[in-house]
Amino acid sequence: MPLNSAGKSSDQPTRRALLRSAAYGAGALLYSAAATQLAGCGIDENSSAVTLRFWNGFTGPDGEAMLGIIRKFNNDHPDIHVIMQRIPWDVYYNKLFVAGLGGRAPEVFIIHADTLSRFWRAKFIRPMDDLTGPGKLPADDFDPNVWEKVLHDGHHYAIPLDIHLLGMYYNRTLLKKAGIVDSAGNPAPPVDRPQFMDALRRLKGITGPDSWGFVYTWLRTNIYTVIRQNGGDLFTPDHSATTINSPRNIEAVQFCADLVLKEKLVPSPQDFDSWIGFRQGKVGMCWEGIYMLPDLQHQTDLDYGAAPAPTLFAHHAAWCNSHTMCLRADLKGPELEAAKKFIIYVSNNSLDWAAGGQIPIRRSLRRTKRFAEMKAQSEFARQIPYAAYMPSVPFIFEYQSEYDLAIEKSLRGTVPVAAALNTAAINITKIIKRYATNNAAGKSK
Amino acid sequence: MSRTRSRNITGYLLLAPYLILFLVFMVLPLVYGLILSFMQYEMISPLPPHFVGLSHYIAAFHDHYFWKAMSVTCIFVFISVPITIVLALALAAGIERTGPRRQNLYRLALFIPMMITISVAGILWRWFFNSEFGVFNGYLTPMLQWFIHCFPFLAKVINPKIPWLLTPNWAMASIILMTIWWTIGAPVVILEAGLKQIPAAYYEAASLDGAVGYRRFFYITLPLLRPVLLFVTVMSAVGAFQIFGQPFIITKGGPELSTRVMMQYIYETSFNNYRLGYGAAMSWLLFIVIAIFSIIQFRVLREK
Repeated sequence: MPLNSAGKSSDQPTRRALLRSAAYGAGALLYSAAATQLAGCGIDENSSAVTLRFWNGFTGPDGEAMLGIIRKFNNDHPDIHVIMQRIPWDVYYNKLFVAGLGGRAPEVFIIHADTLSRFWRAKFIRPMDDLTGPGKLPADDFDPNVWEKVLHDGHHYAIPLDIHLLGMYYNRTLLKKAGIVDSAGNPAPPVDRPQFMDALRRLKGITGPDSWGFVYTWLRTNIYTVIRQNGGDLFTPDHSATTINSPRNIEAVQFCADLVLKEKLVPSPQDFDSWIGFRQGKVGMCWEGIYMLPDLQHQTDLDYGAAPAPTLFAHHAAWCNSHTMCLRADLKGPELEAAKKFIIYVSNNSLDWAAGGQIPIRRSLRRTKRFAEMKAQSEFARQIPYAAYMPSVPFIFEYQSEYDLAIEKSLRGTVPVAAALNTAAINITKIIKRYATNNAAGKSK
Repeated sequence: MSRTRSRNITGYLLLAPYLILFLVFMVLPLVYGLILSFMQYEMISPLPPHFVGLSHYIAAFHDHYFWKAMSVTCIFVFISVPITIVLALALAAGIERTGPRRQNLYRLALFIPMMITISVAGILWRWFFNSEFGVFNGYLTPMLQWFIHCFPFLAKVINPKIPWLLTPNWAMASIILMTIWWTIGAPVVILEAGLKQIPAAYYEAASLDGAVGYRRFFYITLPLLRPVLLFVTVMSAVGAFQIFGQPFIITKGGPELSTRVMMQYIYETSFNNYRLGYGAAMSWLLFIVIAIFSIIQFRVLREK
């Protein structure tokens, strides 16, 4: 074996060589990590191509679906290169806002419909009316009640991508076992209050003491659905005052609290964690968003079904939200044109997006055979005409904190429902006043 | 150049990398935060940032949620830190008495949780704590039911389905339990190192004088361990005051804000509600509280 001057085997790597290898290895790892994260299928090799940064919070299976669309787009458009950055929703808005303040906002980004007014108020986004019309996106293909959610000051500031509605998932095995079936012996999920209450009684304890007919999962969406079914809402139409403590809301929340505290038909709320109970086959029904579908699609030992949420009061309503595509306010030139092409492409191909557990917002796409075969999505989509968005105001996170706290206190029985909602009303009124004062001062400057 | 001066320059050069990072990532943000705390700076406000003096500090004193979060934080610190220190000391003393091979095994077992990120550990424990479908009640509920079956008079006192995250008291207890599991490794290792530093001669001398058991512990171990205990206590308290990940992931501050600590409230104010000035002011108030507690601990525990 040949030896080097230091008397070591020349076949053995020197320290420097080791360090170099390590550096190359680390570099390769970083590159591959970046290539995976920046999911535009690699770094732009064509210097003449316009590069678009596309930010979103699609970190789950939905991200894979979006990645597929982007890959196709990049292949079909050699002059444009889209790089997708996925950031968990928990921190997404913070990062997006800070990037915007620093003048580093991405060219294209996703925000939820109910947060649009914040971005509009902060002047982060540009109107997108020029994306609709002949040869572009057909505005009449969007559901009117969704299309109007992106309207501010007479302009549409975003292109809705989907609508994620709350609906009812049910355990087919448990429903059959409880005799909640139709004449053909198939599970018949409840559609109104009497049927719902009957199902709760039949399903409680059906497989053991920890078995329930229904659990509250995300209190915010579950209770808002009931509030809207009773004809209530959280603000006046012009958002100048809160109506959170209106008699209709008190009645709706009282009904929900009674299911836990008085009727004992529903366990104490444990937020999203109750979803585990449904997946374990211990819960007959729960109300969750269509975005939870991939969870169930990966589970082979649960025979589940999907249906619209039952109507417990006089009105049909189901909580919903939408992912919407936005453009940075100062976008212009080739980047703007490329971004427009990209958004139109994604919208036109949003059936691929639906396959990841979403409902496309384009009516023409929902009329296709392919969408009809997406059973859960089709069932949930029946609720679109009465989809209930939470009020979109600049102080959305602040009022939602107050709303969440009031609902939690009500359903735990810590304070009476009316008292909890009254306290929330007082606090939300303070928030409204603070924003109004800032607005007035801002206008006077 | 004199030898002393040359040594000084070498020292500064060695310190420079850390010093630069310290200045850029600690001192500058601190100063910026202090300036921010006197400004009205709301990211989505049409008003540009402007000076408002002490108004944020005054607002904090009138903010019910501020006091709620501060009291929750203090409760967590005052319960979790003493339990952690006492338990860590007991574990360190116990490990010290075992053989070298076992010592490594125990150290590893206690240290492994610290290597798990809070996001993973938090989600796992949240599932464990689920009252209806979680693993803890999966085992405990049948046991408690059997216990109540044997002693029916306990039925009024014991709830066989422990409401881990459902009631304010239990939620705080659950957060403390998880935190101790997650963080106890470091104090144990440090205290064990401290125990090893105590010369055996002291114990031999004490044995000759007839001191045994708890006397050896209280009259030799504890006094000689005081500097290490001071370090561990101060570090644990500072860390506990800054608790964030555990309640944020496990309870999201609930139920009913009973586990929303200061850091979470500051985070929500600054980055959910974009009230950066107010968030910065509350950060400085928390800093002052931590500093006061640290000084008190130094005074109480320092060697006389």
